[in-house]
Amino acid sequence: MSTALKDEVALGHLLRRAGFGSSPASHEGFLSLGWRKTVDRLLDELGEPAAPPPEGFDPYVPGATQQAWLDRMLSGRAMLAEKLAFFWHGHFATSNTKVQDPQLLWTQYGLFRRKGGGKFRELVEEVSRDVAMIRWLDGNSNRKGVPNENYARELQELFTLGIGNYSEQDIREIARAFTGWGSHHHKFVFSEQYHDAGEKTVHGRTGNWDGDDVVRIITGQPASRAFIATELLRFFSTPDPDASEVEAVAATLHKTEGSIKDALRTMFLADEFRARSHYRTLVKSPVEFVVGVLRVAGASSVPLWAHGSLERTGQILFRPPSVKGWPSGAGWLGSAAMVERLKAARRVADGAPESMASGIERIALDGEVPPELAAALQGLEGKERIALVLASPEYQLA
Amino acid sequence: MWIDRRSFLKHAVVAGGSVLALPRLGWTQGAAKEPGARTLVLLHLNGGNDGLNTVVPYKDSLYPVLRQALALNTGQIRKIDENLGLHPALSGFEDLWKKERLAIINGVGYPNPNYSHFRATEIWFTAQPANTPVDGWVGRVLDARPSKAPLRAVSLTKEKPLSLQCSSPGVATLTDFKQFQVPAGMERAVELYGRYRELDGERGRVGRAGSDAIRVAKKIAALQPYQAPLYGRLGQDLRKVLALLNSDIDLEVIQLSFGGFDTHANQAGTHNGLLAQVGNNLRNYQNVLDQRGLGDRVTTLVFSEFGRRAAENLSGGTDHGSAGPVFLLGKGVRPGLHGSYPALDDLERGNFKYTTDFRSVYAAVARDFLNLDPDAVKKVAGDHEPLELFA
Repeated sequence: MSTALKDEVALGHLLRRAGFGSSPASHEGFLSLGWRKTVDRLLDELGEPAAPPPEGFDPYVPGATQQAWLDRMLSGRAMLAEKLAFFWHGHFATSNTKVQDPQLLWTQYGLFRRKGGGKFRELVEEVSRDVAMIRWLDGNSNRKGVPNENYARELQELFTLGIGNYSEQDIREIARAFTGWGSHHHKFVFSEQYHDAGEKTVHGRTGNWDGDDVVRIITGQPASRAFIATELLRFFSTPDPDASEVEAVAATLHKTEGSIKDALRTMFLADEFRARSHYRTLVKSPVEFVVGVLRVAGASSVPLWAHGSLERTGQILFRPPSVKGWPSGAGWLGSAAMVERLKAARRVADGAPESMASGIERIALDGEVPPELAAALQGLEGKERIALVLASPEYQLA
Repeated sequence: MWIDRRSFLKHAVVAGGSVLALPRLGWTQGAAKEPGARTLVLLHLNGGNDGLNTVVPYKDSLYPVLRQALALNTGQIRKIDENLGLHPALSGFEDLWKKERLAIINGVGYPNPNYSHFRATEIWFTAQPANTPVDGWVGRVLDARPSKAPLRAVSLTKEKPLSLQCSSPGVATLTDFKQFQVPAGMERAVELYGRYRELDGERGRVGRAGSDAIRVAKKIAALQPYQAPLYGRLGQDLRKVLALLNSDIDLEVIQLSFGGFDTHANQAGTHNGLLAQVGNNLRNYQNVLDQRGLGDRVTTLVFSEFGRRAAENLSGGTDHGSAGPVFLLGKGVRPGLHGSYPALDDLERGNFKYTTDFRSVYAAVARDFLNLDPDAVKKVAGDHEPLELFA
């Protein structure tokens, strides 16, 4: 393992991974709180309820749900809770293009925000009853005698186990167990008449299983713990986790009966997390980048241009491109995305006070300016200095 | 049901099976070495185009029965053979037909047709009717021949269509060339990415990806819509397509969408105007491609998410239907009629029964125009045999 990051650098790293980066208003506070207490605070905030939506919030106004969530990310309040909700949104990726009801997507986000740090099994049980998910993966057409296997397949492939850890037979049997789990308007309904109450064999276990039984069986598998540990590590820690890192997080999941909060604690406190080898190794997604630059500039609300920018880079909240979620890594460095990064850096720098330029290296770069960037920044002041820091290759990496 | 006079379908099935394993001969071979050299242009006629009044079975005695108000005047139909003719507004397609630049595939659809715009579009875009969509058929083409190019496919739409969904970063929406312009004062950032190219690790990767991406973005920002006699919203988009095709940006796919085909009421005038715009614009666009020597490099696929109900409704319109014609334009296409026209006397819930699976069209494009190997073609289009749509 490579050298450990110094405290100030490690804190900046943590705030980018467990949140959306540092801001001038909170930077000193976190520095004086220190590494370990900051980790504890972020984890404790997982239990904190979200601020109420803004007055007059109407999810049916186009862009309103995106605005409200982006503003919460921007605020820095319970930042890990918002970041984790964003992780789950990409994990259980559900899109309004098919659901066609933004209230339902907002409700689903509320579930991720509320229960994201809880027991994985309970989260999956609730996701299985979530109306947006039911509409998204055709729960209403999954009926006794005419099963629809969409949810049963994705539940295992993308949500709990990963490819190779289940059979086609498991998919068929699990679809049967979920028959009758449907929705009416905005409510989950279980229809006895559509439910296949017969015997099913799921991952070698036979019984009159229903959806909750299935969730218990599959989230109890070692493969599920390794899968979720890997997904968490890839999002929060490193694009390419070692087997030992996965084992450590999976072991915590085992010990705590699937506590995501405890899994995150294990991950953040691992030596690897704050090692140089993990520093600036994740490409910021457009949402992370846009919210990040706005936080650096001390913005209080996400401006309208940010919505256009996210649309052109292809990351619109509540509209992931498919059930597989968004791309990661180099997937966010195409021509359109790069130009949008430069434009956002420019706009934010133009709107920021000139005085911000003096502290920008600390807030945005953890006080570490590599020689290539230092040379380019030589003699640059004010807005131009801010713009170059935010547009720099370093800053594109979390 | 008629069997198409040239019985291309029959040949396609027989030839497709035996030819599959052999290397493709002729000019298609050379181009395979440079994947960016060819561009597939996809035009989605959004809303569900009335196939029956686009390629018209004017001799069929059932046609005027199904379409009492909307039947087109036999004298004005542009006849392409003894049974079929084009809508009178399609003089552009008639010209392309005469110049042997147009292939018409009739009766294109799939089993258990879906009548929702959203879901039917999703099916055409993913080519996987039974699955939850995860990627697009064109996306799978891009994934089958990985490339680090920062821009490989664009869609001239506001949101990225599912058809282009893949793991390549080089897919973007493009509504305005200027959207790719590097903002004022950011040149030094661009230079910085160039200087990072040689660095190790993630920083070097970002430097290389970023500077390549910006280089291409600058080329796009410098483009102007191509000046050609093209009109309307479709014409505006085709000007952008021509500018892209005429540039040195090697795009593999360009997708565009032209809407308004959801003609539930008072269809006649609307449909006439839409088809005139499609026909005239595509003829003039193809002429430019031919004149610029781009004819061999570009194939244009024109499709709609479904056709319309065989019988008209009581509002002078038509409701959502199933199978319809697909058009393939270009110098390399095998011109003429392909597939067979659906029977007017053998409907399913009032809709035409498809005669050609749309994935056989995609398979042909993937194999013979985009030069994918047989395994990759299967990933794109499943087990459907490619039609013989290219010369």
